[in-house]
Amino acid sequence: MTTTAQIPLTISEPEKRSRPRGGLSRTLVSYSFLAPWLIGFLGLTLGPTLASLYLSFTNFDLLQDPQFIGTANYQRIVTNDVKFWHSMQVTFAYVVMAVPLKLAFALGLAMVLNRGIAGLPLYRALFYLPSLLGASVAIAVLWRQLFAKDGLVNVALALFGIDGPSWISDPNYSLYTLVLLSIWQFGSPMIIFLAGLRQIPSDVYEAADIDGANKVQQFVKITLPLLTPVIFFNGIVQTIDAFKAFTPAFIISEGTGGPIDSTLFYTLYLYQEGFAYFRMGYASALAWILLIIIACFTAFSFLTSRYWVHYND
Amino acid sequence: MTHDLNRRTLLKAALGSAGLSALGSLPAFAQDARIRLYWWGSKERADRTLKAVSLYQERNPSVKIDGETLAWGDYWPRLATQAAGRNAPDLIQMDYRYVAEYARRGALMPLDEFLGKSLDIGDFDKASLDSCKVDGKLYGINIGNNSNALIYNKAAFQKAGVAEPIDVTWDKFFELAAAVTKAHNGEYFGTSDASAEEVAFENWLRQRGKALYTEDGKLGLDEKDAADWFAMWAKARETKACPPADLQALDKNNIETNLLTQGRAACAFNHSNQYVGYQVLNKNPLGITMYPQGAGPNPGHYLKPSMMWSIYARSKVAEPAVKFANFTVKDVDGAKLLGVERGVPASPKIREAVSAELDAQGKLVVDFISHVTPKVGPIPPAPPKGAGEIQTMLRRISEQVGFGRLSTADGGKQYVSEAQAILSRA
Repeated sequence: MTTTAQIPLTISEPEKRSRPRGGLSRTLVSYSFLAPWLIGFLGLTLGPTLASLYLSFTNFDLLQDPQFIGTANYQRIVTNDVKFWHSMQVTFAYVVMAVPLKLAFALGLAMVLNRGIAGLPLYRALFYLPSLLGASVAIAVLWRQLFAKDGLVNVALALFGIDGPSWISDPNYSLYTLVLLSIWQFGSPMIIFLAGLRQIPSDVYEAADIDGANKVQQFVKITLPLLTPVIFFNGIVQTIDAFKAFTPAFIISEGTGGPIDSTLFYTLYLYQEGFAYFRMGYASALAWILLIIIACFTAFSFLTSRYWVHYND
Repeated sequence: MTHDLNRRTLLKAALGSAGLSALGSLPAFAQDARIRLYWWGSKERADRTLKAVSLYQERNPSVKIDGETLAWGDYWPRLATQAAGRNAPDLIQMDYRYVAEYARRGALMPLDEFLGKSLDIGDFDKASLDSCKVDGKLYGINIGNNSNALIYNKAAFQKAGVAEPIDVTWDKFFELAAAVTKAHNGEYFGTSDASAEEVAFENWLRQRGKALYTEDGKLGLDEKDAADWFAMWAKARETKACPPADLQALDKNNIETNLLTQGRAACAFNHSNQYVGYQVLNKNPLGITMYPQGAGPNPGHYLKPSMMWSIYARSKVAEPAVKFANFTVKDVDGAKLLGVERGVPASPKIREAVSAELDAQGKLVVDFISHVTPKVGPIPPAPPKGAGEIQTMLRRISEQVGFGRLSTADGGKQYVSEAQAILSRA
């Protein structure tokens, strides 16, 4: 539809032009190269997003046409929905645990790799590997096997005489297992940290050495402050990702968020409302609340960033 | 000129091929029919279905059938999404639980006009037809009947030196199950914990003269019923007749993860047609029998269409789709390929023909249905809107009780209050 409307335009255009090759042609070429993304963005992201805003004010069961009900969905979410608050709690617990731990782990490993060990590219690639696989269904399935009652993890623990619980099917541990899965995908923040560490000039450390600062002082006084832009970036990206986490919980609990809703992430609850119980209007309202929360968090981070992020320029 | 592959010719070529592909989506010949067929189930079911499809295509070269299959849990979200996009498959495997909901919302086509023409199911008994009707109109073609069935590992009971759990009371059942666990040193349990299984709960409720839902779609049980149910299973957990909650939580409500298949427990609470699927995944010979019985005379069991074929309301190939559906339930060759994996055929003639060539397992299923038929009660009304959510909720509360986070009495209270909230919202 959109495609066929645009293609004739690009063909007929050159004939109208007074000059055979010029700025307009370049613009058109660049737009035509951009077109696949642009069409995808307008048709598959922006359009549905706006549609969901409308749907969030309706009662929509997928089979019948949506009925406009004003802000009733939002009112119910805030005043009369235990599961909303529960899933919020689960998601916040996940974000608060997973993001700092993942960043700390990624930074620690980046610092080890930054010490110039032999075969660095190989290690970098190896450590990055989980991130390539991480969010995939296959890994979540693998994780489910590893952390089952008689999974590999408990076999290893048994060597030390520890009788491990059933990590994924015991509500006391299931969320931590998901946090661990998230930390394991430390590859992309690690690569970014590594690049950030490379940017810090070595003469600063030399000067610190001469002044008698030990390694801990150097880390706190030099590395961390100079790395704050990278920490800021990684922090925001990882937090947004953590809020949106869906696949691992969905696969490991087979879509239930169980046991006992212990892994009922907000996204999973939203999915259940929309696709399992066919309340698409309500699910749209939930989605917009998540969007607002993430937007608020990001805005807050940017506003406070000037007090703690040091740009070295 | 062909060498001169500049940008403009490239664009023209692209435009041309775009036009061609648009043409390609039109059927090349008017009489050709392309049917989208959609079903849920195990791999065994997929294999059988695809065999029937290829035989049908061989006999009807102008018909092309594209099959899509998913697991139960993913099946319904996808169907609802496609229906919302007005792009649902033509021939839909439908469940008794959902047929009224889809039919009343105008997503399914009434099939009465095909009766006696391309749909030749006049020899179906009244119950088999009525269970596929909504508000007096036929919306489904019964593929086969089933009933609740306890599927068990025979060897496990033999090893324990106790009788198989055939037509026993609940008390006796748990006694046998505990003996099985004991004989396996507590490593393997006599039964899976079925407190989260709605089919088992419903059967047990019917034995006490209650139901999940009343005729008018209200809750058909009270707090004490639910609390007694949870208490019965809590006791089974105590006597180790069934596994602890963290083991049971591995069961994700399908054949593959059921503790019977996983080699953790000897009994699974399920439907008779699923016996075939279970046996494929289990090395040990499996038995099939009725659920444990209550003390009173009320039958817990009933016969129901294990699934039916429905036609999407907007389908453009309704007639060819009905013909294929008819092939699977009324053509001896087609019905034989499906066997009894989808239930026991409703047509007496087909049932006889299929039974004659069944393997031992298939015969067991047919015999089981014959054994149950005189003992069944009436089919309950189609569940109200929100029933799916209540089913999920039963699982959660049963887990809460299992993990000791709720007492059995509070579990009963919570079931009733949450179920009422869900029903009043839907």
